[in-house]
Amino acid sequence: MKEPHAPTLELLGVTRTFDPGEADEVRALRGVDLTVAPGEFASLEGPSGCGKTTLLNLVGLLDAPTSGEVRWDGRSLGGRKDRERARLRLEGVGFIFQRFYLLPALTARENVELPMRALGVPRGDRQARASDLLSEVGLSGRERAFPHQLSGGEEQRVAVARALANRPGLLLADEPTGELDRVNTEGILTLLEKVRADRGATLLLVTHNPSVARRAHRHLTLEDGRVTADVREA
Amino acid sequence: MIRFGRGHRLRHARLQVILAVAAIATAVALPVVLVSVGGGVSAHELAMLQNAGYQIVVSAAGLHGIAHAHPLTEQILSLPSVAAASPVLSIAIDSFPAGPGATPVLAEGVIPVGFGPTLGPEESGLFPLPLPLGDPTDAVHFDNGSYRGPATYDVLVSSPFAEATRVTTGGHLLLGLTNEVSGAISYNVTGTFGVPPTVLGPVGAFAVLVPLSDLQVMTGFANAPHVPVPDAADTVEVAVVPSATSNPEVISSLRDRVQSLVPYYGVSSLSQEATQLQSATAVLTGFYLALSSVGLSVGLVFLTLVLLRRVESERRSIGIRRAIGEPGGSIAAAVVVDGVVIASLGAVVGIAAGYLVVEGLATWAHSTVQEAARLAEFVPLTLTELAGGVVGLSLVAGALAARSALRIDLAEALR
Ligand SMILES: Nc1ncnc2c1ncn2[C@@H]1O[C@H](COP(=O)(O)OP(=O)(O)OP(=O)(O)O)[C@@H](O)[C@H]1O
Ligand SMILES: [Mg+2]
Repeated sequence: MKEPHAPTLELLGVTRTFDPGEADEVRALRGVDLTVAPGEFASLEGPSGCGKTTLLNLVGLLDAPTSGEVRWDGRSLGGRKDRERARLRLEGVGFIFQRFYLLPALTARENVELPMRALGVPRGDRQARASDLLSEVGLSGRERAFPHQLSGGEEQRVAVARALANRPGLLLADEPTGELDRVNTEGILTLLEKVRADRGATLLLVTHNPSVARRAHRHLTLEDGRVTADVREA
Repeated sequence: MIRFGRGHRLRHARLQVILAVAAIATAVALPVVLVSVGGGVSAHELAMLQNAGYQIVVSAAGLHGIAHAHPLTEQILSLPSVAAASPVLSIAIDSFPAGPGATPVLAEGVIPVGFGPTLGPEESGLFPLPLPLGDPTDAVHFDNGSYRGPATYDVLVSSPFAEATRVTTGGHLLLGLTNEVSGAISYNVTGTFGVPPTVLGPVGAFAVLVPLSDLQVMTGFANAPHVPVPDAADTVEVAVVPSATSNPEVISSLRDRVQSLVPYYGVSSLSQEATQLQSATAVLTGFYLALSSVGLSVGLVFLTLVLLRRVESERRSIGIRRAIGEPGGSIAAAVVVDGVVIASLGAVVGIAAGYLVVEGLATWAHSTVQEAARLAEFVPLTLTELAGGVVGLSLVAGALAARSALRIDLAEALR
């Protein structure tokens, strides 16, 4: 499998307005300028509704900015074709969604296999890797369980395993430990940090939990659609 | 591929798929029944045409039909390549099998020696041949248009008639033009003949066969010796010599020569009629398919709705797959495959259902419908085309649903 490539991320004057011009128009991002270097571990904090998920979606090419530019390694990607952005996501981005987003009709292992299947990894290989990933997140023996048979914390860990499947260079985690107890939180964070350190992946992590945020090397605060604080640890 | 969620959503989705399969199956079953029965009946008629013992027919409409049947028959017989010519006059008359009560029968007047050779293989098995009528060349009553006696007054009766009326060979049967027994003539019953299974109902099954001139005299005011009688026939059936039966050029040139004898009558060859029948069948089949396309359209609209509904209820899952980076093409393909699987199932079930309906009609329906159903033919090519057409159109339904799957807004679907 290819080595992960962590791109340099740049956001230049990025805004994102939902339903522009309508009565319920929402200006989720109001001009964000931000650069994240490859291999960085940054936390993203801020009140509910300040635009954290919106920001991750833009960085991860799930969504396009209303104005401004999102760049990977200096290339502007906002206006690329769907197909090309999908390919970049598949190979380069591991999403851990705020609401896990497991496919209800697939087992835990099949969920983890999903990105590998889309990439054309042979069945045997992807099954083996999916099982390995599930045991790394402490779910060995639960491969055949369906999401509705898992607890919230277990679902979240399946989502983490799935995000790591294609060895992405960019990990975008939207409150990946929100449903976890202290022991599991510790385990997941250690895993994510290990992946980041071993492969030089970039990790952008949204959290409301100060003890989780403390493990990052850079702390971004978002308020009302703007970056209001950007603190690097020495 | 079709893979359902869990719990009530599973049952819901499964019900939709079953309904869509049922809608398409119903839409497919209709043309299967129509085309197989219609095609079977025409094929049967075509086979009868091709199996007839004659190849050319002279016919004329109207009360007296062909006015000079006997001399025309002689003329035709003198043409090259002609093996036999048989004038036939069919008239409904009355019979009096037991006392004054009249029983209507269909009387067929034929020249006995001409009739036998123009019978096809299936028909000839139904008749005692040569016909046991005492006037084989039909010369007794008739000789070049003049009446000459004494007549033999022989008659063959159909076996259903014989059975129903207890008339037996060696007995007598009164036949007359009106239901007045006083005007009837006594005939000798010299034998019985079978009735082909396709002739239905008592009118067709109750029949008698008499020498042509006997019938002409009876209907043309009989019992008037030495008076010229109208020499009428409905048709003259002409058989060519065996070496020419499958030679269309000989048959068509003979047809032209017969036509030149009687420019005012219709002369057609059975191969012409077969061609006409085939084109009529093709038109009919097209009509059946056009009729069925209404049902098929409804079925396909239903399929489209079910597929759209599936996409809608799978919105979140489709959004997740696309968010992860699964190519749109593979998501679209999955939707299209769903449609094709449903349509194929529907086509298979529909063809099976159509087959069972036809079998059921052939077993339990009444007379005419049953006869028709028994003749049904299931042509694999037609069924394959039908199924292929349905599956092909399901691609359109699939494409519409796939398009809507690809249009799902990711940011919306993942909220
Ligand atoms: N697809 C959408 N259509 C309309 N409004 C949206 C959409 N997505 C987000 N919003 C709005 O944009 C704003 C920012 O949303 P976002 O999800 O980024 O917040 P967040 O910081 O992630 O909040 P939370 O901590 O609660 O997850 C909110 O007011 C939200 O209602
Ligand atoms: Mg959020």
